[in-house]
Amino acid sequence: MNPEAMLEKINAEAGDKVQEAAISAPRRIQLKAQPRQLKPLLAYLKETFGLAHLGTISGVDLGENFEVIYHLSNADSTVNVRILTPRRDPKIPSVCPLIPGAVLYERELQDMFGLVVEDIPDPRRLLLCDDWPEGQYPLRKDWKFERPAEIIPGGK
Amino acid sequence: MEYKVSLGPQHPALHEAVSLRMTLDGEVIRDADLKLGYSHRGIEKLAEERSYIQNIYLTERICGICSHSHTTCFTQGVEQLMELVPARRGLFIRTLIAELERVHSHLLWLGVAGQEAGFESFFMYTWRDREVVLDILEWISGNRVHYAMNIFGGVRRDIDELQRKKILDSLDLLKKRTDYYLNLAASEPTFVGRLAGVGKLSREDAIALCAVGPTLRASGIASDVRKDDPYAVYGEIPFEVATADSCDVLGRAVVRVKELISSYAMIEFLLKNLPEGPFKVKAPRKVKPNEVYSRYEAPRGENVHYIKSNGSDKPERLKVRAPTLANYPATIAMLKKGFIADIPLIFAAIDPCICCAERLVQLDDARRGDSRVLSFSQLRSMANERAKKIDFKKRKIAWPF
Repeated sequence: MNPEAMLEKINAEAGDKVQEAAISAPRRIQLKAQPRQLKPLLAYLKETFGLAHLGTISGVDLGENFEVIYHLSNADSTVNVRILTPRRDPKIPSVCPLIPGAVLYERELQDMFGLVVEDIPDPRRLLLCDDWPEGQYPLRKDWKFERPAEIIPGGK
Repeated sequence: MEYKVSLGPQHPALHEAVSLRMTLDGEVIRDADLKLGYSHRGIEKLAEERSYIQNIYLTERICGICSHSHTTCFTQGVEQLMELVPARRGLFIRTLIAELERVHSHLLWLGVAGQEAGFESFFMYTWRDREVVLDILEWISGNRVHYAMNIFGGVRRDIDELQRKKILDSLDLLKKRTDYYLNLAASEPTFVGRLAGVGKLSREDAIALCAVGPTLRASGIASDVRKDDPYAVYGEIPFEVATADSCDVLGRAVVRVKELISSYAMIEFLLKNLPEGPFKVKAPRKVKPNEVYSRYEAPRGENVHYIKSNGSDKPERLKVRAPTLANYPATIAMLKKGFIADIPLIFAAIDPCICCAERLVQLDDARRGDSRVLSFSQLRSMANERAKKIDFKKRKIAWPF
C-alpha cells in the first residue's frame, strides 16, 4: 500500500486517535497523537498495516515539553508517531506489550531524558553508569557537562 | 540446580564492551541479561555542539567497521534537510564504498564464524582475502578504516580510469575465492553441522523483538532497507534480497555469503555504469528548521539516524541507533535454551566485530559455592570439545546451496 492510500485509510478509520497526519517526504508519514491514545494507535497500525518494526524511539527536549517519536516501518513506508509530554510530569506509556523489542529504547529514554515510562517491564538503567547521580539527565537541553577539577594525587 | 555466570564486559566478539549475566541449569542457559554502557561516549550530546560538517567526522567514529554506514546515513539525512540534490557520480561512488564496506565486513564475519566454530584455517583464509578489499578502499579513499569519503553534495574524491580497472581485476580474485569458500563449506560437514540448529530465532520472535539485518533475514523475512526504502542509487541497481529459512547461525552465514555474491555484482554494475560529470556540488552551511528520519542498510542491519535542525549550523538533535542495539533483545532470545559452549557462536552471529583478545568468565558453582575463572581460549576449547561429540553422519545436514 502506498503512503498516500495509507494516510487516507488512517484518517478514515483512526481519525479519532490522531491529532495531525501528513506526508513529510517520500515514504514518510507523520502522525501526532495524545499520550493516552498512543497504545490504541500503535495497535491499530500494527494490525492494519503490519507496522511492527520499531526502528527506534527518539526523544527531543522542546523546553516546556518533551517530544517522543516512535519510528515504525514496514516494507513500503515509515510512520513517525509523535506524542508530547509536559516537563513537570514527564510520563509516557510503555509500548512493550505491543512491541517487545521496545524495552531498550524505553530504558534509554528514562536514562537520558528522565521520562517516566509507566509499566515498563525492566526499569533499570541502560547506558549510564551505576554511580551516576540521581536527577541528572544528560540529553536535556539545560544539562551541561562540567569537567570535574583534576586532582593529582600527591600534587599541589 | 541453577547458578549464575557473568561474562564480560571485555568481549572478543563485539567491539563494544558488554556484560552478559546468565542463569544456568547445568550447561543450558535458562535466562540471560545484558548490561550495556561501558563504551558510551556521549556522541549524541556532543553532536548538538558541533557544526554539520564537524558532525560528519564525529559520526564516522561511531563504528570502526561500518564507519561509512554512519556518515552516509547522517549525510543523506542532512542533504534532505538542506534540500540539496547530490551529484550523481558522487552517489555512485558513495554506493560503491558502501558495498565494498559490506564485502570487507562480511568477509571478516565469515572468518570469525569459522574461528568460533573451530575452523581456524577458514578464519586465516578469509582475513587474508579481506586485505584485497581493504587495499581497494585504500586506493580510493587513502584510508583502510575511516574512509572519510562523504561530504554534503557528494564525495570527497573521484575515481579515475586506472582505479576502476584495478578494482575490477581485484574483484575477479575475490569472486574466485568466495566460490572456493562455498565449495569448502559445502564439503566440510563438521562446519555445517556445528552451525546448524544453534541460536534459534523464530520468525515471530524476530519480528516482535525488532531484529534487523542478516539476523532478521535468516529468520525468513525479506526486509532490506536497500529494497524497502531505497537510498543513494539502490533504486537503479538490480539485486535480490538474500534470505534463509533455517532461523539459526547457519542461516545467518548463508545470508551473508549470498550478500557477498550480490555485492560483487553490485560493485561491477556501479563501476560499469559510473556516470560522467561532477562528483560533488556545493552545499549551504546553514539548514532550515526541519527534521528527517534517515535509514541505511549497514552490513549488520538497519542503521537509523534522526536529525532535527533549528536553522543554525548545528543540529538541534541527532539520534543514532546502530544495528547491534536493535539485535540485543533477539540475542537474548537466541541464548535462552542454548548451551554455554554456543555463546561465542551466537554472539558472533549478530555482530562481526572482533577487537579484543582475551575474555574472563567467572563461573560460580552453586553446588560447591566456589568460583573459577576461565579464559576465552578455555571456553573455545570447550566449544570445540562439544563439536567433536556431534555425530554428523547421523544428523544429515547439508550446506543449503
